[in-house]
Amino acid sequence: MLSIRNLHASVEGRPILKGLTLEVKAGEVHAIMGPNGAGKSTLAAVLAGKEGYEVTEGEILFEGQNLLDLEPEERSHAGLFLAFQYPVEIPGVSMIQFLRAALNAHRAAQGAEPLDTAELMALLKEKAALLKLDPSFLSRSVNEGFSGGERKRAEIFQMAVLDPKLVILDETDSGLDIDALKIVSDAVNALRAPKRAFIIITHYHRILQYIRPDVVHILADGRVVHSGGPELALQLEEKGYEPFLTPA
Amino acid sequence: MQMLTQEKLSLEAGAQHLTHLLRSQATGVGLPPSLRDHWLKWVDRADLSTLFTAQHLKEDWKYTPMEFLRHPWELGTLTASSPSFPPEGELPLIQPVESFEDLPALHSLPTPSSPWEALLGASTTYQHYQIREAGQLLLTSSNETGVLPHFVSISIAPHSQAEIWLAPHTGGFLLLRLHIHVGEGASARLYYTTDLPTRNGYLYGILSAEVEKEGQLESYDLTISAPWKRTEFKVRLTGPGASVHLHGASRIAPGEVVDQAIRIEHAAPHTESNQLFKSLVYAEGRSAFQGRIYVHREGQKTNAYQSHKALLWEPSAVAYSRPQLEIFADDVRCTHGVTTGFLQGEMLLYLRSRGIPEETARHMLAGAFLAEVVEKIPHERLRAGLYARMGFSS
Repeated sequence: MLSIRNLHASVEGRPILKGLTLEVKAGEVHAIMGPNGAGKSTLAAVLAGKEGYEVTEGEILFEGQNLLDLEPEERSHAGLFLAFQYPVEIPGVSMIQFLRAALNAHRAAQGAEPLDTAELMALLKEKAALLKLDPSFLSRSVNEGFSGGERKRAEIFQMAVLDPKLVILDETDSGLDIDALKIVSDAVNALRAPKRAFIIITHYHRILQYIRPDVVHILADGRVVHSGGPELALQLEEKGYEPFLTPA
Repeated sequence: MQMLTQEKLSLEAGAQHLTHLLRSQATGVGLPPSLRDHWLKWVDRADLSTLFTAQHLKEDWKYTPMEFLRHPWELGTLTASSPSFPPEGELPLIQPVESFEDLPALHSLPTPSSPWEALLGASTTYQHYQIREAGQLLLTSSNETGVLPHFVSISIAPHSQAEIWLAPHTGGFLLLRLHIHVGEGASARLYYTTDLPTRNGYLYGILSAEVEKEGQLESYDLTISAPWKRTEFKVRLTGPGASVHLHGASRIAPGEVVDQAIRIEHAAPHTESNQLFKSLVYAEGRSAFQGRIYVHREGQKTNAYQSHKALLWEPSAVAYSRPQLEIFADDVRCTHGVTTGFLQGEMLLYLRSRGIPEETARHMLAGAFLAEVVEKIPHERLRAGLYARMGFSS
């Protein structure tokens, strides 16, 4: 589903990713862990299409398509979803207005008619319940005044609504208390499907106790330096990154 | 337009020409005889050439293009236009009064602080309104060509409730002088809407108000499109508990000018003022905002707030923002804030990353920027109409 090959990327001329290679298949859950400055957030930013990140070498194929050729909205239409680490507040745009525009843009890209209001509201309410979000939050402005936990839940809610093929959770667990982490994890687990893949970028082993990954990668200095099964996360918890940073 | 075929004047010659023209029409017939002579003295002294010489006027007009002075204006005539937003409220519609000797609005007219104000105060074209208990009035003054000075006074009796709809149109130069007296415990709401998409007109409003004890004034200056619009808003809070809330939402289309000059005077203790203005400025457009809060020695326990935010759509859009505080009392709370900037790339990326095409996302964010003000409009149909006319969905 996703093939990242020898990816090099720079920010303001400074190389951050230095030959990252990653292969994610449909149905899989991958965790990417790594110390601060390893390039985890840069990877997320490059996948989302954020400005200021320059890919200098390598390629990213998403279902055979060159992802880097696509605009951010086209990446979304193709089935990519990034749950942001710091979801931005958008005062004046309600969640309903926002998701109506997003859903209808997805539908237009597939040649489908826009949803009518009743269909839209039914879908939004169903998915809000999955995240234990009060339906009143749909009338609020996007992320405005949301607590840290609400924002992260709102990200997963959007994911559930847009029904993507590949989900990248960029430190979704940071700033979540145990209850919120459980709600988010339950929702992700409920959405695990043979046709869907997840990449969980995280600092902590904790979220991986709730969402069991198939593969765990250690990212250091812009490259994947070690990959293994779920037990790798546990070893990291015990030993820290140090033993894994020198290539075997 | 006939004007275009004529020679343009220099700014100075235009100011002189306009001074003579406006003086010639300023007969003071719309003022009570007891005020007339006094006011006509102001008229005699008024000289628009001082816009280029008097320091405070130069400062006041610093960021306002004055090309309109180059037209060799003739006097226009007053016509009624169909308003953009007809009143839909419950309040009875009020008609102008014929007898105006004792109207509080006329007896509380502020001393003119500019030649414009002096020349307009004695205007021959006038209307006076009086509201007792409850009423709404509709002002759709307009002129197709020429320069038209128009004077309107509104007296709101104590403990009454008023809604004022101001929707002027112009194809020439409309100079509107509006003064409102808000009696003790009365409340007034003013909707000033401007939608002049295809006109060449200049719209200049000098709006003033005196608010007595426990009185409330709330206004919404809403611009959908205006080639050139300047609004001066001067409010004097003269009794304890008086309050004023001014709102502005301006969509400044390419090449347009929207200029707002506010002066709030806190002349009594325990008064409150609030200014919330937002300007969305497209290419080559210009927003000029000056907001002055003046707290007199008597204005202890004043609570004043002011905010102007401008969103520049293109590098060629311009916003000038000048907050000015003058405080002569020692126990007050005055806060102000100004922001000017471009659209945040982060917001745009967020919307796009959810599949919303860039143009749609930009458009949503433009609407959202003005929504902070528009959502405060208590009139639902006006709100919806405004979004529709501005091209934003609610």
